[in-house]
Amino acid sequence: MITLTNVRKQFGRDIAVQDVSLHVERGEIYGIIGASGAGKSTVLRLMNLLETPDAGTVEIDGALLTSLSTKQLRAKRHVIGMIFQQFNLVANKTVFENVVAPLRLAGRPRATHEERVLECLRFVGLEAFKDKYPAQLSGGQKQRVAIARALANEPHVLLCDEPTSSLDPNTTAEVLGVLKSINERLGVTIVIVTHEMDVIKQVCDRVTVMADGSVYETIDLVPSGVPAIDNNPAWFVDQLKKAGEADA
Amino acid sequence: MPEVLIQYQTEIWRSIGETFIMVGVSILAAVLVGLPLGTWLYLSRKGQLLENRAVFSVLNLVVNIVRSFPFLLLVVFLIPFTRLIIGTAIGTAAATVPLAIIAIAHYSRLVEQSLLDVPRGVVEAAVSMGASIKDVIFKFLYVEARSGLVLGLTTSIISFISYSTIMGVVGGGGIGDFAIRYGYQQFKTELMMYMIFIMLLFVQMIQFTGTTVARLIDKR
Ligand SMILES: Nc1ncnc2c1ncn2[C@@H]1O[C@H](COP(=O)(O)OP(=O)(O)O)[C@@H](O)[C@H]1O
Ligand SMILES: [Mg+2]
Repeated sequence: MITLTNVRKQFGRDIAVQDVSLHVERGEIYGIIGASGAGKSTVLRLMNLLETPDAGTVEIDGALLTSLSTKQLRAKRHVIGMIFQQFNLVANKTVFENVVAPLRLAGRPRATHEERVLECLRFVGLEAFKDKYPAQLSGGQKQRVAIARALANEPHVLLCDEPTSSLDPNTTAEVLGVLKSINERLGVTIVIVTHEMDVIKQVCDRVTVMADGSVYETIDLVPSGVPAIDNNPAWFVDQLKKAGEADA
Repeated sequence: MPEVLIQYQTEIWRSIGETFIMVGVSILAAVLVGLPLGTWLYLSRKGQLLENRAVFSVLNLVVNIVRSFPFLLLVVFLIPFTRLIIGTAIGTAAATVPLAIIAIAHYSRLVEQSLLDVPRGVVEAAVSMGASIKDVIFKFLYVEARSGLVLGLTTSIISFISYSTIMGVVGGGGIGDFAIRYGYQQFKTELMMYMIFIMLLFVQMIQFTGTTVARLIDKR
């Protein structure tokens, strides 16, 4: 689904990514983990050419991105969703307006917009919030709106840059649950960049460990699943006691 | 109605009209040229979508030069240019030329600042969705920066009113010029005070409208 071949990216004299080759299979959830500054985000951003590689090629969903014209690249980006740590919603647009934006950009027939937006919002459980502004939502809700926005054009791939890194454990589980069901129910290939070990263990089928701009190792995993969580205070107490026992 | 105002009402209405023309042309120039110029300034900056060091340096320098000129000197300096495009360097029409130029420089800088306040991630998300430069500008940048753009224009308009008051030097007229010629030079202090009051009223109205609109459209 995604193939990076010997890609290199340099910022001024700093080499952020050097000679990285990796392959993401169709339908899998692929993780990229590593220390801060290891080049994870840069690799992800190379996948939709938000960063242009200084060397190497990027192939995604059957298209050699590095050889496309600007216009072809834009068309391809319509079917490559992306979400971010900071959500990056347009604060002056309602939830509905945020999610309809990619449909407009892709030039989809106007008559289909409303239904599609509501369908995506229903998928992330936020249909009732369509007229709210991002400032009125919690972090987890904002990320779910961002996911709905990324899903609008029925992407084949979803790129996630630290999708849960500014969320608390409960909302992390909530967002991971949504990502998992996007992968299972919609068959979307997902790439998750994170520095959180638990995120990788819970949902990824494969993971690449990066260090100093290079691939350190790639390993197969059996995802442990997203833990069931609730907001019941008893749950917190339970978790705390468990952690205490584990330390003892 | 005070007697002086009735006595001079024709001149007062004319001077208000002249101020409206001068400030109106300034606003038009600011929006039609200053907005795109400020957007280009922003986009050509390092790390932005149309990054171009040469373009940015030139635009930045021109805007700085225009803005650092003492305005009176700019008016004098532009006389040959004004004559070239208006046919004369004297009168209200001629006065709009230097005003339009300072208006463009003034507002473009405020536009650039407002756009810099838009989180970089919003632009990034737009690009990742396949937005063109035009889409990014109109569907993301201007939407997210809209209250800053309105507040900037409000500040600019008030400056334009202030600049317009000295256009008497090239026969531009206006309320400021009227206040100086009749009120100050002919010692009609009362008349001068009324004129200052009228200006104050305009400024208050503009500031109030600008602040209110900016607040209403800001959902951040
Ligand atoms: N736009 C940029 N300009 C300059 N340096 C950058 C830029 N983006 C990333 N870098 C540098 O590249 C390296 C890798 O960054 P990044 O891919 O963000 O790492 P990670 O996501 O693993 O924390 C870092 O040293 C970072 O400072
Ligand atoms: Mg990162």
